[in-house]
Amino acid sequence: MLRELKNKVFILYLIISAFLVLFPLLHILFSVFANGIPVLLKFGMEFLTETLPAPNKPGGGIFPAIYGTFVMVFLASLIGIPLAVLAGIFVAEYPNNALSKATRSLLLIMMEFPTILVGLFVMAIIVLPLGSFSALAGAIALSIVMLPYVATYTEQAMRSVPQQYKEGAYALGLRKVRVVFSITLKIAKKGVVTGLLIGMAKVSGETAPLIFTAGNAWRSTGGALEPAGAVPLWIYYLVQQPYANYHELAWGAAFVLMVFFLAIFLPIRLSMVRS
Amino acid sequence: MKKVLAFGILVALLMLGCVSEESKEGAMEQIKIYGSGASFPAPQIENWISEFSKVNKNVVVEYASKGSGAGINDFKSKLVHFACTDPPAKKSEWEEFEKLGKPLQFPFIVGAVVVVYNLPVEGLKLDGETIAKIFMGDIEFWDDERIKALNPNANLPHEKIIVIHRSDSSGTTEVFTTYLSLVSEEFKKRVGAGKLVDWPVDKLGRGFGGKGNEGVSAMLKQTQNSIAYVELAYALHENFKMVSIKNAEGNFVKANSETISSAISASSAYVPDPTEGYKEDPKLFLNAKGKNSYPIVSFSHVLLWQSYPEKEAKAIKSFWKWVLTEGQKKIIDGYAPIPKEVAELGLKAVESIRGE
Repeated sequence: MLRELKNKVFILYLIISAFLVLFPLLHILFSVFANGIPVLLKFGMEFLTETLPAPNKPGGGIFPAIYGTFVMVFLASLIGIPLAVLAGIFVAEYPNNALSKATRSLLLIMMEFPTILVGLFVMAIIVLPLGSFSALAGAIALSIVMLPYVATYTEQAMRSVPQQYKEGAYALGLRKVRVVFSITLKIAKKGVVTGLLIGMAKVSGETAPLIFTAGNAWRSTGGALEPAGAVPLWIYYLVQQPYANYHELAWGAAFVLMVFFLAIFLPIRLSMVRS
Repeated sequence: MKKVLAFGILVALLMLGCVSEESKEGAMEQIKIYGSGASFPAPQIENWISEFSKVNKNVVVEYASKGSGAGINDFKSKLVHFACTDPPAKKSEWEEFEKLGKPLQFPFIVGAVVVVYNLPVEGLKLDGETIAKIFMGDIEFWDDERIKALNPNANLPHEKIIVIHRSDSSGTTEVFTTYLSLVSEEFKKRVGAGKLVDWPVDKLGRGFGGKGNEGVSAMLKQTQNSIAYVELAYALHENFKMVSIKNAEGNFVKANSETISSAISASSAYVPDPTEGYKEDPKLFLNAKGKNSYPIVSFSHVLLWQSYPEKEAKAIKSFWKWVLTEGQKKIIDGYAPIPKEVAELGLKAVESIRGE
């Protein structure tokens, strides 16, 4: 009797804790949707194509921010992904090498590293010498943030490939390069791609690394060497202003960011559940 | 799959290349000017940029509001063309600028810090001395004799006063505490003026900090019987009740564009030459003479160089010239235009900018 009661109390406790963990997430999702969708409906397509309006003036949109986020995430992927995938392969293929052990713990540290410091570092080595904030500097900061995620996912995917496949490949007389790139990486493709997408989703929502690097662009879009806006940066600046229309823009931008994030994240999660 | 991906990357790179090419070719037509700094004038600057871009399509101005200190740093590293700062640059900062070129500094807009409260009482009147006592925690209840004496007809409740102040380093705090130090010897000794001060009322358990004007506004709204200081624009936007403050001539005045303009009408005598901007003393603008002068006002300043590359110099001159002339007629709620004489000082400085 007592045992059953204890069991029930404990299960109830588990359910409540699970709910408490989920509640903030659900609340964020709900408030972003509830506040963001009306803004998008009110502004219409202009929201995605126009630039920043003056305070308390109707209209306007967040195009430079969306453009900047796409440019920077794209450039960051271009810089970060090849490096990260190679690092991941190296750590997976030579697990007992001292360098690879150091790399592995370094990657774990990088994952937890305060991203604002990454921004400061890139400001010192890129922004100051070039003499201008730029999308490129922002992208380099983002690629540093992205690197550990992609590398760790790549490593784990490579390691999960059964030894027999590799042995089979070696038995056929393939060289190590071919085995790694044509056999192991191909089998591990799904895990690697998941890592890439998670890295991209993660950096598309980053604010701190961009504060000292990307500069800001409210009204213009430019090339890689010019300052660029970003959706999370805009949200950060806009909510600090006392104007209702800026707050609306921030909610709308939050909604856009959330949709972008979920569009990358949900398919990954679903495909993971399926496999 | 691979081919599609490679093709996609190629196309995207080409597009990026085109965009930067375009802006190079278009440089004849469109020039971008970047600024950063104080958050206080940011809404007004955004408004000016919107208006300016209507009449001047070939210049794009971008302003990032990140605080006066950050703006000065960006200016020093030459990452931006201009920087805005609420307190004038210090002498040490000015000397660093001079190692890099010839700096200019002049005021371009005026704002006010207002004392706001959350209490079911209309038209509260206070003098500087009493405000200092409240913010030091010496006056504990709203129906204290010293408040009653200034508001004989108000129905003040016997409730503890909750004091809300900024928790972050802020120009607003600096202006407010400079004013209180000016009108109260005791405040000057016990607290002093600065961007971040130690509020004695916190130790009594009745003082709380909020981050930014936003944070302070939110706390004031939620807390009954509280008092706080914010920038005028926020008080207007949030519809807070504002305290009428006793000015140097003994009149109780509320902040609005008229009382702010009156406070700075005679200020041009205190504004130094733009080539020696660091000589400005913001204390001189506080508690100004004049029957209708609001006592807590402050200028926001812009930092510029005397020389820029040819095209940029032209664009910068056209924007700041517009701000000091046409722009002064397009001021949004919560700010006031600078006096004509001060604008002329600025205009002279802008005219002196040369292209290389």
